[in-house]
Amino acid sequence: MKVKGFLKDVGGASRVTKARLNAFQSASEKPETVDPIGNVAREWHPGKLDLVVKEIRTASPTAKTVRFEKVGGGKLPPFYAGQFIALDFEIDGKIVSRPYSISSAPFEARKENGYVEITVRRSKGDGFIADYVNDGLKVGTTIKGNIGLGQFYYEPLRDAHHIMALAGGVGITPFASMAKEIANGTMDAELTILYGSVASNNIILKKELEALESDRVHVVNVLSGDEPDWTGERGFLSAELIKKYTKGDTSYFICGPQVMYRFLREEIKKLDVPARRVRFEVFGQAKDITTFPGFPIEKKDETYTLTVMRGIHKDEIPAKATESLVVALERAGIRIETACRSGECGFCRTKVLKGDYYVCPENDGRRAADKDFNYVHACAAYPLSDMTIKIPIE
Amino acid sequence: MKFYKDHYDVIVIGGALAGLSSALMLAEKGKDVLVLERHNLPGGIATSFVRGGIEIEAALHEMMSIGPEGNRLKVGKFLEDMGVNIDWLKVPEAYHASLPGIEVTLHPGLETFAREVDKEVPGTYEKVLKVLNLCHTVFDSVNELSIHPMSKVQMLLKHEAFVKTAGYSTQEVLDTFDLPKKAQDLLAPYWIYVGTGFKELPFTIFSVLMADYIGYGSYIPRKFSHEMSLKMAERAEAMGVQIEYRQHVEKILVKNGRVYGVRTARGDEIHADYVISAAYPNKVYTSMIEPLSEVPQKAIKMVNGRRLSLTAFSVIMILDKPAEELNIHDYSIFRGDTMDTDALYKDLAGLGPYRYLTCICHNFGNPDATPEGTCSFSITTLPRVDGWKTVSADDYDRVKHAVAKQMIDDMSKYLGVNLLDHVLEIVIETPMTVAHYTGMWNGCIYGYAHTMEDHIVARLQTAEKEKFIEGLEFAGAHQISGDGMGPAVTNGRKAAKNVLDDMKKKEAAK
Repeated sequence: MKVKGFLKDVGGASRVTKARLNAFQSASEKPETVDPIGNVAREWHPGKLDLVVKEIRTASPTAKTVRFEKVGGGKLPPFYAGQFIALDFEIDGKIVSRPYSISSAPFEARKENGYVEITVRRSKGDGFIADYVNDGLKVGTTIKGNIGLGQFYYEPLRDAHHIMALAGGVGITPFASMAKEIANGTMDAELTILYGSVASNNIILKKELEALESDRVHVVNVLSGDEPDWTGERGFLSAELIKKYTKGDTSYFICGPQVMYRFLREEIKKLDVPARRVRFEVFGQAKDITTFPGFPIEKKDETYTLTVMRGIHKDEIPAKATESLVVALERAGIRIETACRSGECGFCRTKVLKGDYYVCPENDGRRAADKDFNYVHACAAYPLSDMTIKIPIE
Repeated sequence: MKFYKDHYDVIVIGGALAGLSSALMLAEKGKDVLVLERHNLPGGIATSFVRGGIEIEAALHEMMSIGPEGNRLKVGKFLEDMGVNIDWLKVPEAYHASLPGIEVTLHPGLETFAREVDKEVPGTYEKVLKVLNLCHTVFDSVNELSIHPMSKVQMLLKHEAFVKTAGYSTQEVLDTFDLPKKAQDLLAPYWIYVGTGFKELPFTIFSVLMADYIGYGSYIPRKFSHEMSLKMAERAEAMGVQIEYRQHVEKILVKNGRVYGVRTARGDEIHADYVISAAYPNKVYTSMIEPLSEVPQKAIKMVNGRRLSLTAFSVIMILDKPAEELNIHDYSIFRGDTMDTDALYKDLAGLGPYRYLTCICHNFGNPDATPEGTCSFSITTLPRVDGWKTVSADDYDRVKHAVAKQMIDDMSKYLGVNLLDHVLEIVIETPMTVAHYTGMWNGCIYGYAHTMEDHIVARLQTAEKEKFIEGLEFAGAHQISGDGMGPAVTNGRKAAKNVLDDMKKKEAAK
């Protein structure tokens, strides 16, 4: 065969080898350490940051807003309004992590000495941490936090320009962030918030939200409690009420307590809107796992031995059938990385080497192959026998 | 607390396909191996994620070098030999080409392909088949020579086509066939999988690409590329490999020109005789080697003398209608408003508009890929790192959405369906996403560009002289075989082979 002539053809390998060596010869001797693409990735996702409590203020008679800045000051990472922060609380020498929707806006984080805020209600559900946030955190307390996690945010290439927020209780926080970002002109959407509360004196972030009302941000408070003087909407966030405030193409964003999710799933069905227009924030850690379908109720009082492998190191700890593997690990003072605590994000992905377990069906966000090989998201998995698991070394 | 043994034979940095292939091969020879992976699961970008309860492929378009059952090609065979049994599904076609004046779906099989091209461009059957057969001959030689090196004279006698085309670019060799432009256009779509325009791309690489994909078709794992990564990791662990996730290696420890271990971000110093690094040589030689005084100037000149190849930008969607209702009829659509690969390559250095898009609808490879009534559809471009290097953190989201919108709009126009009216889930993967999850240098997934100045034949010739630190090997797209998930496995095996050969040499010297 012939490409250009025998001699030129057979000399090809030598020619290209020489060309390569020449390219190295004439290259610079200066080490090139710049990785701008990696730098942008690190600016958005720096991992855990050392934060300090700068301010604590009342958000309602039972809720407080806590403001965090970076220790030493500076900008905080960008995030999308609606996302959460995972905070590592150190209580009695043990580290316990919790996700909180960020109630401040992304633009506030990007200022010099930017900040993020969370708003937490006392003794609701996960009482012990909520109480700690309300009473234990003081101005000056330092804490580690991972900012900008989760999928609960407005995506212009997917969602309708009009967002209807269906919020209950402390579930108002992601929408407070969106409202502020819209008001600031840095998020292009229209937001109608239907906010369900029990009593008018207990509406979280009431003043802040009222101050943001405009032609792009509408706030409708809905009271379920019996208050004769209340002139606004009453009852629950029913399909009828939702319809009343829907205008044209609308995306429904839902955040609130688990009972509200169950109620709203049925109400949403009555609306006959396409699935792509409905987005629920993650479910949260199951309040009472024994109420979920398929949980073997006869095991509810059992405590098992959980053998935990980290590298070649082995620990044995107790684990209750009604508490997730993550809770057992945290009680024993063994660090495991978590973020959403709803089985979705996979931060706590864990290999089960031995033993039986139950996975909360509301919170099973596992990959198919992971299920085949006995991986669980430890925040959503409960022991049903003695178990051996392997977790990352933290 | 002691999490690691006092000593390992080999530490592998990075638990993606290359690193896991190294680990498998070393474990099979009874070596004590530790794999340290920065993420909390194996695979690097060969993975999947779950959104709204739906599992979504992160990166794999189609695997080359797998081959049909009973006649596996090298990657398929290696995995089987290692006891990694993947549930492979055959991709039904080569590609649907949507190019100027062309709308056709072509299928694998050299003769089938040539016949289908002939239907579009009558009278080209013989020529096209001749090109493909030449590619296949070169491909066979590459495979044989990578196992049995031989002298130049022997090579010329036994592997004439390989030798005589090695010094030429793809365009130079294609020019000798005098193909009509339209026929060459139909041979070009896969170029993006090797990522250099035809005036620069070594014909050797083009040959391997065409012979492998067109000759044998391509495959995907039933449960996404995570099935492949996880099965490799599980098998490695079953063979005694210790894999630790969420361990970010910061330093490679070197003394008197020889590697002796690594240090992780959490501060563990772990010792080993060999280190295989999936981290780019650029990063290793400029910031990871400790002390940096152990890095010879030649190593710096080498990385500076190479051009980074492509990164990735993908818009991955779950759509709320079955594919056919959205006018999607093929597993892969390769669409360009030109098939001038050199012009396209030039464009890839910018931030768009990107004129050459590759789209995958997994449902045609795996009908169960998404829930009933939905389909997955991804639109990908593979830009060069240059343009993306100029994007700041504050501008990132705007640029990302602008590029994604352009790509969706282009495909919507083509399909005659506004895809934006059907988005159930959407994920936009960018070079920054790659950098975030894998730590790859500048988010580059393709390693170094295949060019006439960085030719695979030259890489093979000089490989021995490019070992600057004893006991340190590299495994990843930045190595000899270059980019792609199939070549990743080959690169990983090569690193393990180098380690095993060196061990034998040391053993013999004793």
